[in-house]
Parts: sequence; structure tokens; C-alpha cells
Amino acid sequence: MSQVLTLTDEHDDEPQEGVDWALWRRLLQYTRPYRRDVRLLMLGALGAAATEVAFPLLTRVLVDDVAAGTAVDFVGYGLRYAALIALMVASVWLFIYVGGRLRTHIGHDIRRDGFENLQRLSFSYFDRRPVGWLMARMTADCDRLTMILAWGVLDIVWGTALTLGIAAAMLAMNVGLGLLVLAVVPVLAWVSLRFQKRLLLTSRNIRGMNSRITAAYNEHVMGVRTSKIFVREQHDLARFGELTAAMQAASVRNAVLAALYLPLVMTLGSVAAGLALAQGGFSAVAGSISVGTLVAFVTYAGKFFEPVQELAAVFAELQMAQAAAERIVGLVEAEPEIVDGPDVRAAAARGDVHAPMSGALEFRDVCFAYETGEPVLEHFDLVVQPGETIALVGATGGGKSTIVNLLCRFYEPTSGEILIDGVDYRRHGLHWLHAQLGIVSQVPHLFRGTITDNIRYGRLDAGDDEVREAARLAGADDVIAALPDGFDAEVGEGGARLSTGARQLVSFARAILARPRLVVLDEATSSVDTETEERIQAGLEHVLADRTSFVIAHRLSTVRSADRILVIDGGRMLEVGSHAELMARRGRYHALYTRQSLRDVSRVEGAWPV
Amino acid sequence: MSNENNQSKPTPPVAAAAAERGHRRLWDLTRGERLRYGAAVASMTLGVMLTLIVPVVWLGAIDAIAGQLGAPGGDGPAATSPQSQDAQGPDRQGGDAQGGDAQGRDAQGRDAQGRDARGQGVQGLSGNRSQPVEAWFADLAAERGLRNTLLIAAGLGVLLTVLAGACHYLRGRWSAQSAERIVRRLRERLYGHLSELPCRELERLDTGDLVQRCTSDVETVKTFLSVQVVEIGRAALLLLCVLPLLVWLHPLMAAVSLALFPFIIALAVVFFRRIKTAFQAADEAEARMTSVLQENLTGIRVVRAFARQEFEQDKFAAANAEHRDLTARLIRLLGDYWAVSDGLCFMQLGAVFLTGGWLMSRGALSLGEFVAFQVLVTMVIWPVRQLGRLLTDSGKAVVSLGRLEEVLRIPEEDDGTQGQVAPPSVPLHGELELAGLGFAFEAQDEPVLDDVSLRVEPGQTLALLGPPGSGKSVLIQLLLRLYDGYAGSIRLDGRELSTLPRKDVRAQIGAVLAEPFLYSRTIADNVRVGWADAPEDALHQATSSAAIHEAVVGFRDGYETLVGERGVTLSGGQRQRLALARALLKDPAILVLDDALSAVDTHTEAHILEALRARRGRRTTIIISHRLSSVVHADQIVVLERGRVVQAGTHAELTAREGPYERLWRIQGALEATIGETA
Repeated sequence: MSQVLTLTDEHDDEPQEGVDWALWRRLLQYTRPYRRDVRLLMLGALGAAATEVAFPLLTRVLVDDVAAGTAVDFVGYGLRYAALIALMVASVWLFIYVGGRLRTHIGHDIRRDGFENLQRLSFSYFDRRPVGWLMARMTADCDRLTMILAWGVLDIVWGTALTLGIAAAMLAMNVGLGLLVLAVVPVLAWVSLRFQKRLLLTSRNIRGMNSRITAAYNEHVMGVRTSKIFVREQHDLARFGELTAAMQAASVRNAVLAALYLPLVMTLGSVAAGLALAQGGFSAVAGSISVGTLVAFVTYAGKFFEPVQELAAVFAELQMAQAAAERIVGLVEAEPEIVDGPDVRAAAARGDVHAPMSGALEFRDVCFAYETGEPVLEHFDLVVQPGETIALVGATGGGKSTIVNLLCRFYEPTSGEILIDGVDYRRHGLHWLHAQLGIVSQVPHLFRGTITDNIRYGRLDAGDDEVREAARLAGADDVIAALPDGFDAEVGEGGARLSTGARQLVSFARAILARPRLVVLDEATSSVDTETEERIQAGLEHVLADRTSFVIAHRLSTVRSADRILVIDGGRMLEVGSHAELMARRGRYHALYTRQSLRDVSRVEGAWPV
Repeated sequence: MSNENNQSKPTPPVAAAAAERGHRRLWDLTRGERLRYGAAVASMTLGVMLTLIVPVVWLGAIDAIAGQLGAPGGDGPAATSPQSQDAQGPDRQGGDAQGGDAQGRDAQGRDAQGRDARGQGVQGLSGNRSQPVEAWFADLAAERGLRNTLLIAAGLGVLLTVLAGACHYLRGRWSAQSAERIVRRLRERLYGHLSELPCRELERLDTGDLVQRCTSDVETVKTFLSVQVVEIGRAALLLLCVLPLLVWLHPLMAAVSLALFPFIIALAVVFFRRIKTAFQAADEAEARMTSVLQENLTGIRVVRAFARQEFEQDKFAAANAEHRDLTARLIRLLGDYWAVSDGLCFMQLGAVFLTGGWLMSRGALSLGEFVAFQVLVTMVIWPVRQLGRLLTDSGKAVVSLGRLEEVLRIPEEDDGTQGQVAPPSVPLHGELELAGLGFAFEAQDEPVLDDVSLRVEPGQTLALLGPPGSGKSVLIQLLLRLYDGYAGSIRLDGRELSTLPRKDVRAQIGAVLAEPFLYSRTIADNVRVGWADAPEDALHQATSSAAIHEAVVGFRDGYETLVGERGVTLSGGQRQRLALARALLKDPAILVLDDALSAVDTHTEAHILEALRARRGRRTTIIISHRLSSVVHADQIVVLERGRVVQAGTHAELTAREGPYERLWRIQGALEATIGETA
């Protein structure tokens, strides 16, 4: 699976020449657990095809019977026709029933595996793939593939069986006439394949355009104030007009193409029927075929169109959806970059329990570069005692967040090692580390659900009073009490119904409830007011006693009382020391905080942690 | 999923007149396309008729063949024997001349003849018939020979199909063209309407719901116009045209051929109405699954940070399984339906088959008619079966149309001049005067602004301070005419704001809000929102003043870098600075910064304030901020609390007397002291 990723459009599958059967076979693995269903599906398809071949044959016999002038056994014909109907009904029911089951189960299984893998994949994977992209893979792509796997298989079996069945019946009745009528089929197949492919291309184009229109509306509504303030309404509308014009053109093109296809196919069908009629009629008069055979030929001639069209559609779709298939297979089979080593996994399997973290940390000659190759952190060394509070200051992009991300093992050092409690942290389990971590970030994410649900995410078995206590310690209780439903208030998608400040408070409470051994605060109080921040700090003082913590902040008030302050810039540690030491040194830190004579007054008071 | 939400959305109260306007608007949408639509319908009708004639041609040809076969051994009044051809002559002419009457007699005679001819072998296949078609082909065969007749018939079949195909093509083309044009106009109308809605109205509405209406509801209407209307029309036309044709061919067979049609249609209508809930349940389950997935993916960092993978997997597994089971159930129900419906259709065909065979064996139906009936019924039965589903589906279009009308009915913002003639929009000097300004969202609510009076000379800088909810932002919204209905007066260059056209006012004010909105376009495009045709150097000057130029140049694509998910992710500070650059590029008479630098670090802020000071004396500036550093240099500082002015003056004046400003300043002083100490 290629790791090259183009984030152009979510409908960016390119039509590929030929069908990559190896790829489809890999996806067909998903049908393994449902082998019996696949067989039943094929049985249903064959049954339906056989019935369809049989009906004209029955007509043929009846016509010949009538022509012969002998007494016709209508009860017998009734019974035979009824039997065919029963077979048809049973087949239809069977293939819809089984096909539906296959489709839904395979879709479920692919999603399950995809989701499980997404839970293991490293952040570097997500860095390169926006959420929307992943969502499209897990929903639209997945649906499309399962459709192909279930109904495509059905159509291939049914279409092939029906085409072959009709061909066999015709050849059996009369080889010459059969070959004459069959001559139309290759032309039909060629036309169908060409058109189906182009139709798929144009409809893909429309889908892409449609999602752009949706995005345009979304942006329009979200940005309506900007649009008004800058009096951009007409300009925006004109811009949108370009999009709708393109959409209109593409839709008409698609419809015209479809309108052209059907007449072509119909004409080919009438040519086949005409051939059967003219040549068959002559043969009938000459006595080489019966009248019934003639009727059967005329009927068959019109019947090719559907299966051939379906087959062409399936093959076109197989080629078209190949890119989607690759992406799904890629997602399910992608290997996470950060995994527990075999010994750690073996220990976990044995049920070995690690001791809780003491909080002693060490960065030993750690270097890190993102995949782009640019070094973000170079030869970083740091020893942290248990319970120490480390503040990281410096310009954005200087490497502060990288240090924290490495510490949390969201990324691993490119070289060097990080030790926790004296052991390279790769020899601890990922779960062990993360279970003892408490992170509050600048833009905290909350999940849809109530406030209580969100706080409890920190410790799933926490009781209601523990949740409330955590909220109190985080200084969130007042904010929560002010909400209409208090702790039962819905926070909305991503916490959107709460202000950023309130979200930070709730995520604080969540982290407190988790009773972490290692705390990371990444600009965590940037959006709360002074008074609340003071209360948070009071609460944290209590909660975070003797826990190792890392604090990233711009604000002096927040970093002032850290045990040690590191000034990070350009991936290097420029200064280190306490506030007093650094101020005395009159270096970068001093410059950072004195160049500006006046500061953020609303937030000056207090410092974290005291 | 959203259906439920949508329905529960409060519909803005509207007058009946407005409702009617909404209806008319939608009808108006089709204007200019009605003729084309009509042409499509006409073309479709013609196409359907031509399609139906093809089996009749075959009928004649087959009967001609059957007649030839019958001729050698024919001792009865077989259709193709020379004598009987002669005998048929007058009869045929009579049929032609006297139309329906003759046909009625014809049918009676046919039955009688049929009984006579019973058991006459191949004669049974040709029947003792006098259909004009059969006769015409019989004549042709006699004149030109059978081979030529058959070739003519085959050619005629192909020709008719080609003509029908041409009609089909034209119908498809025209209906698509008109439907797409209508939909395009609808889309643009909605888009234009949305930006003309008052802000208060938009705040009440849910973005997701609005977007959904503008996309999927429009899509439903489009499907209705371009597919469903056409398909329903085609099925109905087929049925309408085939009915007289069948009756004309053979009334009894016609009755038998159509006997089950009502049941097939009824079953479909009833079933698809009933199954709605199953569809809905499956859709909702899918929406739930999608939302679990989305929540997980957007919060993946939190999931990892709390090591909650197992919890998440359980949650997803439940949603995934529920989606699977409900969808499987839906498909099972569909399977039941299609099987039963297929059974009915084949029973109908079976009835045609058996009755036809029986009539044929009695000589009351010719072979050609037998074949024609089978072909015609097959041609009609499948589209008609779809009719039931189409009728049910098209019900959705009515609902969607209603939901779109709801949006279109919300009254748009007027031009804001209260009916007075808009004065020519001269550039403002930037003089602003508030006198006794009051504002409340609802009459009964506590006022958000209460008796606010102040005056800003052109070119001055006004700073507004105050705790959240003190009314600072509302003041700005009023100034921008985003909100209406204030008490007291707001005067711009001496003119009352409520008499000035909204757009003229906005054009003269450049506002930067705390959470600025950036378009997912290039950075240059985003800044040019302020001035669409700005030359390069003006653009760079604005971005330099906003201290963002360097950062932009640092991006790989520079000013052409895309903003948003598909491009760079900008930090809060960068976004604010871009928004500032946008406002600066506009070079407005009044610049408003509503907590617009909150995410910018202090060092950069100083740089920006320096650049802003260059505007001093030239342009009026209003700054709202929590940081004293942003406000100390203002010509006038106004402290608001609960919508009232509690303090006003310069920095020097306000620090000289006791009050909120002086308190803030003292805290500042205390900090300075600590720094001094530790340093």
C-alpha cells in the first residue's frame, strides 16, 4: 500500500485500466466467514437466471402444441408455469435476503477492523489524514465496496448465467439463427462498457461537486457575519454561481449521456429481434424451425440487453472503485508506527502488573524530526525528579509541544531515548503510560454527551460524587451550575455548546478524576478568567501534590512558580532554571518578559502551581 | 437522523401572506422552463407510442408467417389463402371507414368465427382475423413475397425503435436541462437568501440543519423534478397508451392482461408507506454509527491520552452492530416485498400466457397477437410496478419543498433606511456619537445596554473595557447594523444610524472579531476579502502591519497557501492577525477590534499596536480588550459594567482617581514590583 497521499478530493478515485483481481481477492477474504451465504447467493442468482431462460422455452412448446392442432393440456402448462413462478419467487427472495445479509455483515466486519486499527495507529498517521478523509473511507467507501462485494457477485453470476443460458438455448434450437442473433452481443457489450464507464465518471464528478456545494453552504452560514461586515454578499453569490453552473453542466452532461445510452441499446435490441424475425420467419416457412422456436428467438433477442448491461456496470464499477478498495485495504492493513515490543506484549499476556509510575523522567540525547525531515528537536537532555514541575516557554514552533508529545509517546524519538522510572519507556506498555497520564490542552476536545459523561471519561468507574468533587477541584462547578441542566447538560458535538473556557474547565476535571501520575498542561488555562484560574490552581495544588508535571504557557503568571523553567527555541534548550535565576541571568527569559512593559492585567494574579 | 431534529426546529413565525409568497417563489422558480418541460412531456408521449407500435409490427409479421404456414394445408377460411384475402378486403375497409363501430362488430364476429375454426391446426395460429395490421402484412406478403415482407417488418421495427430512441433522448435532455436549471436557481436563491437574513434570525437557526436543507432537501427536489416526475409520467403514459391498444387488439385478453395491475400498484404503495419506519430506523442507526466514529476520530488524542481504546471499541461495536442489524432487517423486508411483487407480476404474465394459449387453440387469437400481448404486458408491467414506489418517494419531495419554503419565508434584512430615501454614500469622517443608547434583545429582558453616551472625534481611538457581558460586543453589533432596534441615538458623522443603508455603513467599518472566520481559500483570497482588487503591495502592507507577512512568506506556497483542512492549520493568533490584515486592507473610516488580539503574544501585539498608531488622526479606531497594554494609549477609555458606562477618560485621568480602572492598574503595578524584586 502506497503511503503517498493526495488530499485532493474525497472522490478522487481515478479510473484504472483493467481490474486488479489480486486486490479484490484480498477484499473477498471478508466473505470467508459467510461462505455458506455466498453459495446461497449464487444459487439464488442461478435460479433466477434459469427461470428467465425457461419462460420462453415454455412459450415455445405451447405455441408448437397449438400449431400441431392436438388437444393442449392447459392444466399441465398452468402447473409448469406455476412451478417456474415459484422458483423465481424463491430465487429472488433468497438472493435479496442473503445478499442483504452479506452486504451488511461484510460492511460491519470491514468497519470493525478499520476502527480497531484506527485505535492502534500512531498520531503520525492522523497528522496526514484529516478526519473528513477518514470518515469518507469508513462510510462511503466502505458502503460502496460492500455493495460491490455482495450485489456485484450476484450480478456477475446472474448476468453470466443468463447470457450463457440464452446463448445455449438459442444454439440448441438452431445454430445458424443462434449465431446470427448472438452477433449483436459483442457490440452490445462494447457499447455498454464504454457508456457505463463514462456514466460512472460523470456521476463521480457530480458527487465531488456536490460535496463542494455542501462545503460552500457550510462556509457561507458559518461566515455570514464576515460576509455582511465586508459587504461581500454579491461577490460570494457570484462565486457560488460558478460552482452551481459547473454542477448544472455536469448533471446535464450525465443525464444526456444516460439518455443517449438507452436508445443505443434499444436499437441494438431491435436489430437482434429484427434479425430473428426476418431470418427465423423464413426458416419457419421453409420448415427448418417450428413457429414456437421462432417466437422463442424473438423473445430471447430482446433479453440480452439487461444482463449485458448489468455485467458492464459491474466491471466498470470494479475498475472505478479500485482506488477506494486500495484505500480501505490500506486503512485496515496500515501498521502503527508506535507499538509495544514483543516482550512487553508477552508480559501483558502473562498478566504482569507494572508498579505505578514514580514520575522520574529522563530525556537522553533525544532527537526528533517529523516525516518531512526537518529536525524539530536536537540532542535534548533533561532529568526530572518525581514530583517536579517543569515549565516550557518559548516561541510557537520552537519544539515545546514536541517535547510533550514525545513524553506521552504519541511520537517516539528519532534517536536517543526517554526513560521513565529509569527504564526506556518503550519497555513499558503504551497502555501503562497512557493510563497514568493527565493531559489538558489549549483546545480541549469533549465528546458528545453530558458534562458528567465527559468528566467520567477520566475514570469510567467513578461515582457521581467523585465526578462532582473533580469538577469542584477544577473550579468548574460554578460554570456547570450556571448551565440549564447542570451536570446533565449536553455539551454538543466536540463540546461546541460550551465556551472554550468552560471546555477547558471540564477537561481539567476530567484529568483530575483520572488521578494521573504525570500531568501535562498545554496552554490549559489560556481561556479562563483570573478568578477561575486562581481557583483551578488552588485545586490543582491539592490534586497534583507530588506528581510530575509539564506546563506549557506563554503567560508569566502560569510559569513563574514552576520548579524549573526551560526556554525552548529552534528545537534546543536555551536556558533553564527557576524564575528568579532566569530573571537574574537577564537572558532570553528576562527579555521575553520585560520587553513588554505592560501585561495581561486580567490574568496577572496568582501563578500555577503555587 | 436529522429528520427528527429538523422537524422539531422551531419554524419562524410568519404571516400567511409571507407563506403564500414562499409558494409563489417556488412556482416562480420553474418560470422559463415550463415550455421546455412541456416539450419533454410531448416527446416522451410520442416515444412511448412509438415503442408500443413495435410489438404490433411484429404481430403482423408473425401472423404473415403463420398465414404462409397455414396456406398449404389450409382448407378453411384461413387468413392467407387467396380467397380469404379477398374476402377480408371489404371487411378491412369497413373497419377503416367506420372505426370503433366496425371494430365492435368485428370482435363479435371474431368470436363466432373462432368457435367455428376451432381445432383447425395451424389455422389456429393465424386466426380468422381481420385486424388492419394483419391484413396489411398479408397484402404485402402477397405482393412482395414473404422474405421482403419480413425484411420490411424488421426494418420498420428498427426504424420505430430509433425514432422512439430519439424521443427518449430529447426527453432526457430537455427534462434534465430544465430540472437542472430550476435547481441551480433554487440553490442560488437559497444562498443569496441566507446572507440577507438578519443576524438575530441566523443565531436562532442551527447551521447543520440549514446546510442540510440547502443540500439534501434540494437534492430531493431535484430527484423529483429530473427523475421521479419523468418516471411517474412514463409509467402513467405507458399504462394510458397500452390500455386502448390492448382493448383494440382483443378486449377479453386486455381484461385478463391488466387484471392484476391494481393489486401490484396497491401493494407497492402500501408496502413503501409501511416500510418508511424501517428505512428511518436504518438511517438513524447509520447516523448514530457515523457520529460515534466521528467523535472518536476528532477526539482521538483524548482517547489515547486516557487509554480508552477498549471503551471506544465497545461503543463503536454496539453502534456498528445495530446499524448492520437494522439495515439487514430492512433488506429482508424489501426481499419479502420484491419476491411477492415479482410473484404477482409473473402471475399476471402467466395469466396472459395461459389465456392467450387457450384462446389461440380455439382460434380466437392469432399467434402474432399472442406474442404481442406477452411483449406489451412485459413492457408495461415493470415500469408500473415501480410506480408504487415512485409515488411514495415523491412524497418526500413535498416534505423537502416545505422545509425549503420555511427557510425562504424567513424575512430578509431590509436596506435599513426605514423607507427614507438613502442619502448618497459619501466616505465617512469617522465621527461617532452615542446618546442615551439602550438595547435589549427582547422587550421584557433586562437591557444589555443602558443609557450609554459618548463621543469620538474623527481619527480618535476609543477603548472599551469591561467584564464579559458588559455590553461591549453588542455595541459593536449595533454599530455594524447587525442588530436593529436600539433606543436613544447613534450618530455617524452627525447622521442617525438607523436612517443609513446597512450596507453603506458596513462598507465604512472594518471589524475584527475575537474568533475570526477564515474561508478555506488561499491566504491572499482571505485578506482580499477586505478589498477584492487590492494590488500586491497594498496586500503586503496590510499583512506587514498585522505582523503576519513573515509567517505567510514562510509557508511553502506563501500567499497561495490554502487555509483549513486541506491546507495549513493556523494558530489562533495567526488567524486573528490575518483577520486584522483583512480589515486593514479595507482601510475603513472606523476600525473596530473586538478582543481581536487575545491570542496574539504580547511581543507581536506591541508591534501591531505600533502599526495601528500610524493610523491615528486619520482613521477612527475602537478597541475592545482585556489587556491594558492595548488600551493605555487610547484617546478615550470607557469602562462598561452591565451595559452602563461606569468610567470614562484618558489613561492619566482614570489612574488618578479611584475606580475599576485604577484597580486594574494597581494589580499591574504589583506585578511590575515582583519582576523588579526577582530581577
